Amino acid sequence: MRMEGRFEVGAPRERVWRCITDATLMVACIPGCEEIEPVDARSYRARVLVEVGPIKARFNLVVEVTEELPFDRVASVTRGEEGTRASMLSADNLVTLTELGPELTEVRYSSEVSVTGRLAKYGLGMMRKRVDRLGVQFAERFRERIGSGALSA
Amino acid sequence: MSALARLHRPATVEEAVRLLAGGDGERTRLLAGGATLVAMLNAGLVDPAELVSLAAVDELRGIGTLPDGGLRIGAMTRHRETAADVRLAGTLAVLREAAARIANPVVRNMGTIGGSISFADPAADYPPALVAADAAVEIAGPQGRRRVPAREFFVDWYATALGPNEMVTAILLAPRAPGLGSYDKLYRVAGDYAIVSVALSVAWRDGACARAGLAVGGCGPRPLHLDEADELLRAGRLGAQAARRAGELLAAAADPLDDVRASAAYRRRVIPRMVERALAAARDELSRTA
Repeated sequence: MRMEGRFEVGAPRERVWRCITDATLMVACIPGCEEIEPVDARSYRARVLVEVGPIKARFNLVVEVTEELPFDRVASVTRGEEGTRASMLSADNLVTLTELGPELTEVRYSSEVSVTGRLAKYGLGMMRKRVDRLGVQFAERFRERIGSGALSA
Repeated sequence: MSALARLHRPATVEEAVRLLAGGDGERTRLLAGGATLVAMLNAGLVDPAELVSLAAVDELRGIGTLPDGGLRIGAMTRHRETAADVRLAGTLAVLREAAARIANPVVRNMGTIGGSISFADPAADYPPALVAADAAVEIAGPQGRRRVPAREFFVDWYATALGPNEMVTAILLAPRAPGLGSYDKLYRVAGDYAIVSVALSVAWRDGACARAGLAVGGCGPRPLHLDEADELLRAGRLGAQAARRAGELLAAAADPLDDVRASAAYRRRVIPRMVERALAAARDELSRTA
């Protein structure tokens, strides 16, 4: 399924770029993300908890950056599964930044996600709502961090 | 999939809360009637390490009358009992009708009101009925007991106002008033979850509507309810015009899904018709009995 969204951040594009490529900051912004650990220059290991009702799925993911064009776009591929292999997830992701003004940046994200296993029980419509909600949460947290000077400038 | 390590059987609510708080939060689950949880266990969708069965907690069983004449439905009360209780009449009949429409006799014999609302499937039958009746939910947790209006209990898809280590202990209902309650659902096959459901509770005295509560199920993350629609119905004495307007308002506020049962667009179209039908039936009933 295709997931996409956009939000605006009141900060210059370079600063937004540094944030979205800062793993520590991403842990704090991605809903349910418990850990991100660099594996090498182009890939990360991440642990993300997805909760839908009584189902709590903890995914061990590997994110591999496939294309990085500074200040403009990052493409990545995510693959992973729950420890018990009860659900599998894979995604092709693209994040692009557009300068709307000296202090205003648009972040666009899109992802072609495939989930199989127990989380798929909830069906596409429900997952879509869920992901939209996570997107809003991410944007809120991201704006908070970028505004609070949490980032070392 | 790991094996279930322990099954606890506490005798009191306090003990159940202690077990819940003492366990590994993510892998300790309460077991009520099991109508949903056991099915999910069997399907391999959840793998709790510890289950806390509420079957031996006396306080949670049955329906009692409160000093003010209201009712207290214990969390472990089976749907079958709720569907058969004659005290759920007048404004409270909405709850009895909803209980009678849940799934099938096997599920109604096992499933409980506390379990059902804690799972909070937005297409389930109790949530809109409790919202229409303006019920309250009693919750126990490590800090003691608290009450939350049903209208605030359901917060999102499969998410409730329950905090960590909290559990539902009862549903509290204000004394029933003369009037009526009704629950109608549109479904694919008997026993299925609702495509759209409409719950109505009306207090009616001397030819005037004292209070109207209307809620729609299956059309968003939580039961759909608008104070404005209730007020329209009350002021318009449940008239056809008020019903049409209330249905339109609710349809506009709905946030339904496309799923195996129906498309979101279809649900939006059906809401006003279901609302008008419920109100027409209510007017009919009141004209016969009032």
